[in-house]
Amino acid sequence: MHFGHQLAPEWIIHDHLGLVGLPHFRVENGGNTGGSALYAAALSVMSGHHDVIGIVGWETMDSVSQSQGAEFIAMASDIRYELMVGGIYPIYYAAMANKWMKDNKVKEEDVASIGAKNRNNAMDNPKAQWYRNEHKYITVDDVMNSRLISYPIKKYDCCLMTRGVAFLLVCSEEYAKKVNPDGYCTIDGNGLSSCTIRAGDRLNNPGWTERYEPNYPEMTEFGACRNSAEQAYKMAGIKNPKKEIDFGEIHDAFSTSEAQIYKALGLADENTIAQFLRDESTHMHGQIPMNPGGGLMGYGHPVGATGIMSTIECFYQLSGMIPKKHLSKKTEVADAECGIVNSHAGTGTSISNFILRRGK
Amino acid sequence: MSGQQIIKKKKKFADEPNFTEKKTYRPNDVKETGLAFVGHEISDDGKVMNQFLHYDQLYTIRHGWNSPFFKGLLDGKIMGTYCPICNDTWVPARTHCWRLNCNLEHTKWVEMPLTAKVHTWTVAGWSGRSSLKRLPIVLIYAIIGDSKVAIANELHKIKPWDVEFGMPLKIVFKPKEERIGAVTDFHFEPIDNWKPSPMNKEKERIKKLVEPVYEWVKTMK
Repeated sequence: MHFGHQLAPEWIIHDHLGLVGLPHFRVENGGNTGGSALYAAALSVMSGHHDVIGIVGWETMDSVSQSQGAEFIAMASDIRYELMVGGIYPIYYAAMANKWMKDNKVKEEDVASIGAKNRNNAMDNPKAQWYRNEHKYITVDDVMNSRLISYPIKKYDCCLMTRGVAFLLVCSEEYAKKVNPDGYCTIDGNGLSSCTIRAGDRLNNPGWTERYEPNYPEMTEFGACRNSAEQAYKMAGIKNPKKEIDFGEIHDAFSTSEAQIYKALGLADENTIAQFLRDESTHMHGQIPMNPGGGLMGYGHPVGATGIMSTIECFYQLSGMIPKKHLSKKTEVADAECGIVNSHAGTGTSISNFILRRGK
Repeated sequence: MSGQQIIKKKKKFADEPNFTEKKTYRPNDVKETGLAFVGHEISDDGKVMNQFLHYDQLYTIRHGWNSPFFKGLLDGKIMGTYCPICNDTWVPARTHCWRLNCNLEHTKWVEMPLTAKVHTWTVAGWSGRSSLKRLPIVLIYAIIGDSKVAIANELHKIKPWDVEFGMPLKIVFKPKEERIGAVTDFHFEPIDNWKPSPMNKEKERIKKLVEPVYEWVKTMK
């Protein structure tokens, strides 16, 4: 929870859920708050210290105007150097994406298809903000013709500002088998990594160049995503993510950043990413659908809740609940056994990835 | 029991600074009133109430070891740091080297040249509330001198669609009396005699996207 007039509001929620006496603590990690809370909960259960943990996240972004809200969120950037020179996150991301698109020969239309995809997926999700407010199917042309936010990002390349809440229970597999034997999923891999607060500090950062390659991650790649995905893949025994993962709920703050994330997750490289996008590989009819629940651009981006929202959508897919939770089977990934959840903060400053599988 | 008493003297981290002169440039209508409930509203059906809480506080950002950068801005200088072991140089400055091999070596300050080049760029048509009237804004990440990192700031004196990767820049400061010791004291401009490349498809595209922004800004109060 970031848009707050009350410090530690979780204490009120905890009390009113009748949980007084049980431990509680706040996890706050920008846009990766939900993912970080899930990470903490998963580790707590894996350690054997706790059996059942509730994670709740929420945001009330409509308590201020959009331009105030954008500026407020931008206080997570380095306010000494970036905030006051007109910088807000869509602008930082646009600068990063502009170079990334040039370096990877990706066109505006290629990423615009992601903006249309996620909003159109959201039209099958009655809880989605796009479904409830705008309520329309859009095309790549609609994205291309939407107003400029920061070149190459237009309005429909951007996520929504949202009032929303999400709640998830993480428990031991033994407990899950007792209470929900036919409908649980397991967290088989998790990873959390970090990068610099300022994107401009990544051009040749020794922490990354020693791990990967010279000039990595530049201002263009999400090193923390690659690194946390590698941790999650290793833990879950995934060797070829494109073949072994059926779908994902990932952090599409911008259509451009969703495309950048594909690369960081190892689904494509600099030679294949443009074609990967043009093949619509992540649409519902593609090889690895991404954000069937609508993602941040369609479902919404209540910052403190987003990672939990993505995990819940992933859980619905893996537990066969999509026909009940969505309006149709259009956004169901048939026979999905394995999904990835991605949660992302700052300009890629903190990123977590999780591999979820259908319970046995 | 006898023996010598050993008194360990703690090494002082830094002397406590003393401040005698404060410059303020806060608009007259800003008051730090702290927290106050300033209104409420009740929905027409009488079921829901909204309460308005006003929160207005002054923050102090102590720049500590980074102070030379911000003091430098007041003097029209861009100060960076370098590592005396590996010679890596940074603007924005780092107080310690980023290489583990240099064992977090304390860096030294150096005055940087007032020239730079564009590393990446964007043209903003929307921004935070305090920046809306300045739109469209060309925001660039630029490399100053031989810095190993890029710094964000605005690029002025250019048509938004004419920005180019790698283009050479100069750093221009506000007049001395207008400087406040913040990054807004300077901006980038193309070097003298720089000429943009001819219009092309991408430039036309950006121009088309930007033109409505000029009109929109004119409508702002």
